[in-house]
Amino acid sequence: MSATATADAGHAHGGHHEEHHGLGGHLLPSDSAVGLATCGKIGMWIFLLSDAFSFGGLLLGYGILRGGATQWHSPGEPELGINFTAVLTFLLICSSVTMVMAVANAAEGNRSRVTMWLFLTALGGALFLTGQYQEYFGIWSHGLTKEGLTFGKSAYASTFYLVTSFHGAHVFSGTVYILITAIRSARGKADANEVEILGLFWHFVDLIWILVFTFVYLL
Amino acid sequence: MAETSSSGHQAASGEAHAAHSRKPYLVIFGLLFAFTILEVLVALPSLGVNQILKASALILLALTKAAMVALWFMHLKSEFKVLRWSVLLPFAFPALYAFILIAEAGWRLLD
Repeated sequence: MSATATADAGHAHGGHHEEHHGLGGHLLPSDSAVGLATCGKIGMWIFLLSDAFSFGGLLLGYGILRGGATQWHSPGEPELGINFTAVLTFLLICSSVTMVMAVANAAEGNRSRVTMWLFLTALGGALFLTGQYQEYFGIWSHGLTKEGLTFGKSAYASTFYLVTSFHGAHVFSGTVYILITAIRSARGKADANEVEILGLFWHFVDLIWILVFTFVYLL
Repeated sequence: MAETSSSGHQAASGEAHAAHSRKPYLVIFGLLFAFTILEVLVALPSLGVNQILKASALILLALTKAAMVALWFMHLKSEFKVLRWSVLLPFAFPALYAFILIAEAGWRLLD
């Protein structure tokens, strides 16, 4: 039933797709598997799935090493700061909320609000990165590198830096991606579809952090 | 049509300016915040929670939070059924694989 309805919907809106070609991006032919999703959106979902499996591989390696270790923390290695990282987690959750606000405003056509929410989201990303820099290297207090957590010295240290820095790289590229879209939005060049696709990436970065925070810091 | 992605369609056709309710987003934000505090409390060593119980609670809370982000913030809940399951189902296999391999690694410690 849904397949028929979907195909009909695809036909019914076929004309609109041509008319709004420049506004909404390229659309896939009507297909019950993807409905009216744009090529960009399907492409982002496929990328996110492959990226999720990359993170999955890292977390699996971490889990196997930790599950089979008689002693996880070597003597002299510091504990991870849970309270500080909980604040970083809260920051990312807040930035996810500002992102959904940007997406909702984009769907409603409120351009100036989209730009404002996107800049706030980018600020959240930048603050998270600052927090991660503090955690690694220290800004206002000693970082983990100075406290004896050295990459390559133990499975605990190596898996910690590998997983969190891989996530940090996503936050960095996500922040740059948000800034580019915010500038495009301010210039009236970013459409709702573009903001929605950006939102998918940023929420994914938040989702991965939720898992990293639990598996690497809390467990 | 119930499964039509509203945001995707609106974005694609460029014709939508209807107001979206912000309430579900704020409810999810409140739950994510509350669950994060709960996680930190469960993880407190001073609480003395049994290790297996603690790990189970933390994993359950994390998966619930991740599902909330995917379903509501990423709009998977309102996506087409085939797209939704194409994204969600593949995770069952690495999860099962992870459980078997990590359990196997842990099992060796008992020898």
